Amino acid sequence: MTNRDDDMIDDLFGLAQSQTPTPSDDLMARILADAAAVQPSVASASPPQAGFVQSLMDLIGGWPSVGGLAMAGVAGMWVGFAPPTVVSDWTAELVGTPVTIDMLGSTDSYFSESMIDG
Amino acid sequence: MTAQHGIWNDAPDAALLVAYANGDPSAAQVLTARLLPRVLAQATRMLSDQAEAEDVAQDALMRLWKIAPDWRQDEAQVSTWLYRVVANLCTDRLRKRRGVPLDQIAEPADPQRGVEVQMQDTARLRALSDALAQLPDRQAQAVSLRHLQGMGNPEIAEIMDISLRSVESLTARGKRALTDILQGRKAALGYDDDEP
Repeated sequence: MTNRDDDMIDDLFGLAQSQTPTPSDDLMARILADAAAVQPSVASASPPQAGFVQSLMDLIGGWPSVGGLAMAGVAGMWVGFAPPTVVSDWTAELVGTPVTIDMLGSTDSYFSESMIDG
Repeated sequence: MTAQHGIWNDAPDAALLVAYANGDPSAAQVLTARLLPRVLAQATRMLSDQAEAEDVAQDALMRLWKIAPDWRQDEAQVSTWLYRVVANLCTDRLRKRRGVPLDQIAEPADPQRGVEVQMQDTARLRALSDALAQLPDRQAQAVSLRHLQGMGNPEIAEIMDISLRSVESLTARGKRALTDILQGRKAALGYDDDEP
């Protein structure tokens, strides 16, 4: 590559950079017609679509609410597995004392005997 | 620019795009007036063909209108996004020129300049554009942004989403390849004299 080759390419670059075309009225009109054709109307304009999880989060109030829900869930499970005495008393008052009916008494003994015999 | 557009004159491009997506009728006019000259210049410099450059400009802005409702303001600047789109659209068109002989030179458009000089400039610009078409797409884009748009390497790196080192490599190799391609046409383009 010689300096004159560089001169040529630099001259061509300069020539290209000097091109500053003025957009014609026709081009401007075509582009604005395109813009009007695909512009969302005010009525149909909607915020960007969020994913399902994000929508759910928005519905219940975001992460703070999720934290509260999780705590309530854990507390509920704890009460279910190991109810404090006061809860047992309340359920007894509300639904009466639970009665256990052994439907498989004879079968139990059958199995027990079978296991002993076997 | 009419008075009703005044409120948008100082607004960032992204804000105008959001206003357009929300149905504001004047936002597209302000955005078009602001962006179209740059878009058209970039396409004209790469393609050296007025009709093709106008088609690319219209296509690029149509893509902008369509993406407006989903535009994420924190992702990229509108101008950066547009430079990328125009560069891609132009290289798509340049690719189709490969192998096609140079036989269509546009008529001179500027009556103020001598017809002969104007025709030579037109031939030179078309030759440059056709040589650009011979380069790999990424080289053509990097060279055009650097040498036809006059951009700095960091800006090119952002537009093309590549490293600075890659920009330097692409522009250097691209310029060298262009010089090699055009070397055989020096005389035809009037570069065989002492002065270009």
